[in-house]
Amino acid sequence: MPCQHYKDALIEAAASGAQPQGYLRAHLNVCLDCRAAFEQEQSLFSSIDAGLHLTANPDVPPSLLPRVRARLDEAAATRRGWMPQWFALASAALMVVAFLAARAVWRTNVVQKPIETARKTSVPPPENHNPVVVRPVEKNPVSQRQFAIDKNPLAPETLISGKTMPEVLVPRDQEILLAEYAAQWRLHARAPLLAQDSDATILSPLQVAPIQIAELDVKLLADQKSQ
Amino acid sequence: MQELVLVQPGRTVGDELAQRAAQADTRREFEERLAECGPLAYRVARGVLRNTADAEDVAQEALLRAYRKFDRLRDRNRFRAWLVRIAFRLALDRLRSGKRRELRDTLWSQPQRQPPAATAENLAASTEFQVHLESALAELPEKLRLVLLLAAMEGHTIDEIAATLGISAGTVKSRIFYARKQLAEKLRCHANIIKTR
Repeated sequence: MPCQHYKDALIEAAASGAQPQGYLRAHLNVCLDCRAAFEQEQSLFSSIDAGLHLTANPDVPPSLLPRVRARLDEAAATRRGWMPQWFALASAALMVVAFLAARAVWRTNVVQKPIETARKTSVPPPENHNPVVVRPVEKNPVSQRQFAIDKNPLAPETLISGKTMPEVLVPRDQEILLAEYAAQWRLHARAPLLAQDSDATILSPLQVAPIQIAELDVKLLADQKSQ
Repeated sequence: MQELVLVQPGRTVGDELAQRAAQADTRREFEERLAECGPLAYRVARGVLRNTADAEDVAQEALLRAYRKFDRLRDRNRFRAWLVRIAFRLALDRLRSGKRRELRDTLWSQPQRQPPAATAENLAASTEFQVHLESALAELPEKLRLVLLLAAMEGHTIDEIAATLGISAGTVKSRIFYARKQLAEKLRCHANIIKTR
């Protein structure tokens, strides 16, 4: 066993690889245990160095450099072909984005157009008619219903409901028709009503009176002057 | 067989030729360094991974990465240090991933993978000590391990290591000292093995 007092100094000296100096050298000259411990430490560090040398300097496999060169060739070939591939990918991505944008715009138009069409067709021009407001029940169903019956005695009950419905300006002679339409619309649960009732609606043929043009009274200019 | 050349429509033949010439120059310059630095990358990786197959894979990958980014390296004299760092990082990543841990252990246990010993008597002790040493080396902090590996490689002086890693020579010496001391602490329990050598 080495002397405890010199233990760290022994290890430090062996680790540094230098010969012990000063008080440690003097102690090693007289202490056999410490000298043996020092030699053992030196042997340990020599073994470590030899092992490290083996670990750090292995034989390089002969296949290393040829394989690296082959991969470098592949990398160079990939580099050459990279730009056209990039362009193709970018073009494809651009086309997809353009398609999606066009589709989104088209869908927006499709949703908006029926609304606009409905607005245009459901509000006929008020010429020659006194419009009547058909007001469905909203906040006060009883009074609204009474109002509707009073104002429109021919209107069926089905026109008035407790549900919220839009107010529509209708020509006076078309209010019954609208009431029937609304009733059927509700009954058929918004089914293809127009197609179904198209046969039931009998339209009288349009009769147009022939145009009557009065005969022209032509007078000479000279006569006019003389008069 | 005739080589097919892919030419972009928007580019002139002159541009294409200039690019080819630049690539050829880069390749030539890289090839000059490859013979010297290829083994270095392999040894760094081998020191970390302790496995020949893994080390070769990592060295190839490191060299390939270095080639791909070779144009961006302004100071070509720093190539060795740059490559050492790439190989060391890749080897550490491979070691951490542990994908081939089982295979590595199996291969390492085979006698033909061990470093050659002088005599049959010393073979067992040497082999066992080497295994313990490499395990202890793997447990060292990264900074100490890299310096110790480079110092143990043939032909590396303290100043070269300092230049490679961008640290002072004093720091290199200090790291070597502490690394060896830590190894000795871990291996002292195997003193009986050493005694037999």
